[in-house]
Amino acid sequence: MSYHFGRGKSKWTPYLLLLPGLLFYFLIALGPSMATAVYSFTDATGIKGAPIRWIGLDNYREFLFMGRASVDNLAALQRTLIFCAAVTLIQFSLGLIVALLVNQKLKGTNVFRTLYFMPVILGVVIQGLMWSLFLYPLGGPAAKLLSLLGMRSEFLGGQPTEAFAWVIFIQIWANMGTTMMIFIAGLQTIPSEMYEAARIDGANSWQVFRNVTWPLLTPSVNTNLLLNIIGSLQAWQLFLVLVGYRNGTQVLGYLIYATGFGQTSGSVTSSFRQGYAAAASIILFLLVLVIGMSVQYILQRREARILG
Amino acid sequence: MTSQSKGFRKINWGKVGSYAILILLALLYVGPLFMLVNTSLKTMPSFMKDATGLTTSLHFENFSEAWTKANFPKYLLNSILYTAAATTIYIITAVFVAFPIARKYIKFSGAVLTLFVIALFLPPALIPQFQLILNLGLYNNPIGYIMLFIVNPIGIVILVNYIKTVPKELDEAAALDGCGYFRFVWSIVLPLIRPAIATVVVMHSIGIWNEIIAPTIYLTNKDYYPITRGLIVFQGVYGSNWPTLAAAVLLLTLPMLILFLVLQRYIVSGLTAGAVKG
Repeated sequence: MSYHFGRGKSKWTPYLLLLPGLLFYFLIALGPSMATAVYSFTDATGIKGAPIRWIGLDNYREFLFMGRASVDNLAALQRTLIFCAAVTLIQFSLGLIVALLVNQKLKGTNVFRTLYFMPVILGVVIQGLMWSLFLYPLGGPAAKLLSLLGMRSEFLGGQPTEAFAWVIFIQIWANMGTTMMIFIAGLQTIPSEMYEAARIDGANSWQVFRNVTWPLLTPSVNTNLLLNIIGSLQAWQLFLVLVGYRNGTQVLGYLIYATGFGQTSGSVTSSFRQGYAAAASIILFLLVLVIGMSVQYILQRREARILG
Repeated sequence: MTSQSKGFRKINWGKVGSYAILILLALLYVGPLFMLVNTSLKTMPSFMKDATGLTTSLHFENFSEAWTKANFPKYLLNSILYTAAATTIYIITAVFVAFPIARKYIKFSGAVLTLFVIALFLPPALIPQFQLILNLGLYNNPIGYIMLFIVNPIGIVILVNYIKTVPKELDEAAALDGCGYFRFVWSIVLPLIRPAIATVVVMHSIGIWNEIIAPTIYLTNKDYYPITRGLIVFQGVYGSNWPTLAAAVLLLTLPMLILFLVLQRYIVSGLTAGAVKG
């Protein structure tokens, strides 16, 4: 590729101007990201100037095998997988159904679309506080509804499994809009002649979906599936806002934060086990990597089969 | 979808069903918002008596109380400062990264782009990032906090893709006229790629604005809190006083909603474009 702007020294201008962005990226994102692996083999704390010793695989051994904590860790790992499966399954299906519904030629679909997408913009803090109020156990709307059915619940303050289920629900509520939008973008790339042709051949709605929409939607299916899986494996912010660090509800992401920075956050104390948290980060990363790659592999084979 | 060719009856049932599902779902989105508005207008005693009942008063004092007690002006100003500063630094540096990559004006431009994409798949940088900021002496410091947000690889990818649609002949013509590289990018390319810049700026700002983890980790001094952290702290103190808390949440929600309606196009394209690449 030819370069048009000047010769000699001024040929280096693009490099010079690119440098700040690249440096920031190395310093703040890429470097620290890779250094996580290095820290995972140390006993680093969050105290400035404290000596950092190399302890090999001790953090990993402790995380996976040692005592009561490792039992909790593995439970958190299992919970992360359950959270991922539930969120992905429901959010993906719901996003698809809603996208199909609002993509029809109906009046007012724009309003619904905007409404469903709204939480994405509001962020976890507002999402969380909104639902804390809606799930207010002493006579809030959800409690009222349940009492009509003769039931009662403590919601987010109740049994761990119950609180956990509510976080799954709110996570889907908050992010379904993104899934829907990606599906809508995909649906709009399908030429309308394809539908007409299928209709002329006498296909019913289900057959049209099965044989036209679904296969042609493959790119957005892949995107959404991967995004939902990876996103939900790493998501934990709603837990922070909705339930706090509570035994029986924590997922890996929260566990990393809590061990690395103290459970309630705030002032720095000596108990910040950052080497240990880094090891947990790597375990979560490997989980994401293995699951993400396997799904990616399956999706690509499927895509090759469908789209030739 | 074109299903108009069938009989009226059948279409109507489909329509009714579609609307039924859409409206039921919509209630889940309007409900919490409505509850927030309703609660924010109540007095504490009337909330205690009946949390869900329609408010009989318009107790606007909740808003003024939240505004002053939640230290809103200070936190809002912090949020605006962090978001504006970090986004400005980011977008300027990002354009000068994306342009030469898109044009292949630097060696190994493909490899450099890959370097940015890789970040999306690497382990979280949480711990080493903290060590870095701590050792730079920027812990609990607005500058250190802003530094965390001057990077966003997805934005680079979006910019590169968009710049590729700008005709290359423009570069040649400008160079022939004696226009320098910096001036060309700054005053000719920049206006041409405004839609992509808007998308990236909006996407990046929303991320910073809504951030809650970073402020809990990095900022301990109350004077530095952004509004998200401020709200959480306010909840900790006023947790049982839902009318005031609801007013505080609403004070932050309303401007976000208005901004959302105005900028919706850019927000959606940013999230979906980013998603497709990620």
